[in-house]
Amino acid sequence: MNRTQDEFIAARKPAWDELDTLLAKRHLLHKLPPTSISRAAGLYRELCSDLMRARAAGYTADVIDLLDSLAARTASAMYSAPPYRWTGLRELVTGGFPSSVRRNGRFLALAALLFILPGLLGFFGALRSRGFAVQVMSEEMVTQMEKSYADLGHGRGDGADGMMASFYVYNNVGIAFRCFATGILFGLGSVFFLIYNGLTIGVVAGAVTAAGHGKNLFTFIAGHGAFELTAIVFSGAAGMAMGYALVHSGQRTRWASLRAEAPDLFRMIMGAALMLLIAAFIEGFWSPSTVLPPVKWGVAVLLHLLVLAYLLFAGRKAPGSNP
Amino acid sequence: MDDPPVQLDNTVEVETPEHVRFRFHVAGPTRRALAYLLDLVVRAGILLIVEIVLALATGHHLTSGRAVMSGGTLLALFILEWVYYVAFEAAWNGTSPGKRALHLRVVKAGGYPLSFMDAVLRNLLRTADFLPVGYLLGLLAMSWDGRFARLGDRAAGTMVVVEDPIRVAPAISLDPPATSAELAAFPHRVILPLPDREAIELLLRRRDLSPARREELAEVMAPLVEKRLGMRLGDPVRFLALVYYVAVGGAAKHEAGKGPA
Repeated sequence: MNRTQDEFIAARKPAWDELDTLLAKRHLLHKLPPTSISRAAGLYRELCSDLMRARAAGYTADVIDLLDSLAARTASAMYSAPPYRWTGLRELVTGGFPSSVRRNGRFLALAALLFILPGLLGFFGALRSRGFAVQVMSEEMVTQMEKSYADLGHGRGDGADGMMASFYVYNNVGIAFRCFATGILFGLGSVFFLIYNGLTIGVVAGAVTAAGHGKNLFTFIAGHGAFELTAIVFSGAAGMAMGYALVHSGQRTRWASLRAEAPDLFRMIMGAALMLLIAAFIEGFWSPSTVLPPVKWGVAVLLHLLVLAYLLFAGRKAPGSNP
Repeated sequence: MDDPPVQLDNTVEVETPEHVRFRFHVAGPTRRALAYLLDLVVRAGILLIVEIVLALATGHHLTSGRAVMSGGTLLALFILEWVYYVAFEAAWNGTSPGKRALHLRVVKAGGYPLSFMDAVLRNLLRTADFLPVGYLLGLLAMSWDGRFARLGDRAAGTMVVVEDPIRVAPAISLDPPATSAELAAFPHRVILPLPDREAIELLLRRRDLSPARREELAEVMAPLVEKRLGMRLGDPVRFLALVYYVAVGGAAKHEAGKGPA
């Protein structure tokens, strides 16, 4: 049949408009009544043959563009991605996150080393000489840190706890996300941020200890450290895993190799973010409270054991079940 | 059209499982930068509103110059920096206010809607794309890729497509309508080879041509058709329009309409 473009449009436009109205109602097709869904499927098949006919007949670009975009919208409504449900969050917490961390154990070990070794270097360097500390951080920063830990354990001013909790969310989750994201540069960004953060924290700890307030500092960080420092290391490990997937791509292209790792990376960084939210709460409200240090140490030991047990055992399959 | 040649323009062809192929127009850096700026304005506006509400709630003045930012401000900053895009792209099927205004949408490379995981990955990696300053790395990555994918897009397997509303040009009509005298000069049936018909159609559909340019093009085309039909008419544009009208069967309808009168 050799119809002209105008005849073709006049004959088929009602069907396209009908499909367009069906799609406009809901972008998720499965929310429509069953009859509308099967009607949409029929219209989609007709549309596809219209599209091929229009291309073969050499109709003008506006018609083909219209059909292209309508076909694209219908296809995307028909094959929509699985919606993200809240059960996804439960799955992440109860098993997805710890098992992803365990699968990436070697990156975790490497990230921990890259964080702890500079931390130790910074700590002992700053402990031995103040000159070392001011090489890493500015003089004012060091002085301010020394002062701020001098009289901890008496609680903060009114309302300051909530403010500091918000600050920790903003600052620490930001650090973790940056530490992860820069891993796309073949892991180098993550390596840099791990070393940098390790060194800075080590220097602060060293300088404060040298000034004689070490007990205050370690009492303060013991509680939330279980969540905060580990989460920073996790995000660094996820970043390095991302970089490694780009480098060691196997039979895949570099980006396909990364995308194969994406679910694990996603679970690790989301888990790290959740841990940092918990840490911000502890750091905002519990760590600076006036509770006696021995109680804080006891709680800190408990929290560390809790985190360790969670990461080691949560989400493991029962011995009898199929792998 | 079995084997489409490599596209020179910015379209991407996608094939569905039932072997239907359709094309997306991928968005270039300029349009995406504009959407980004618009989102930046929206985010700044939200921050301003949060500040005003906080100031009213706590009784502080905005200009009192507090040394420390309030907790609410910090939380708002965190949400605007890290959650804004993820939440919108996940909830609004790959769009954000800025993207919506510029008719942009994020989709998977296969044309499917993006998942929550994709939204998280592509937006966390903004940090890397931003490096060293002003999305320079992202821009470099985009220029390297046929789909203008920045690093975040590549990691998430997404692309940003243009969804401009498309209007089909109105049907070709003969204006003023053909008179019986004009039609009398034509043979009852005019058979035009497809290339000729397409060439005339192209001329008649182009409404953005100036009359002079239309005339000029028609003068090139008309003699060929005149030779084929063995007839001529003064005005080449009118002649071609009439030829087309008769060829697609308009004359038959004309007569049918005239018949009973």
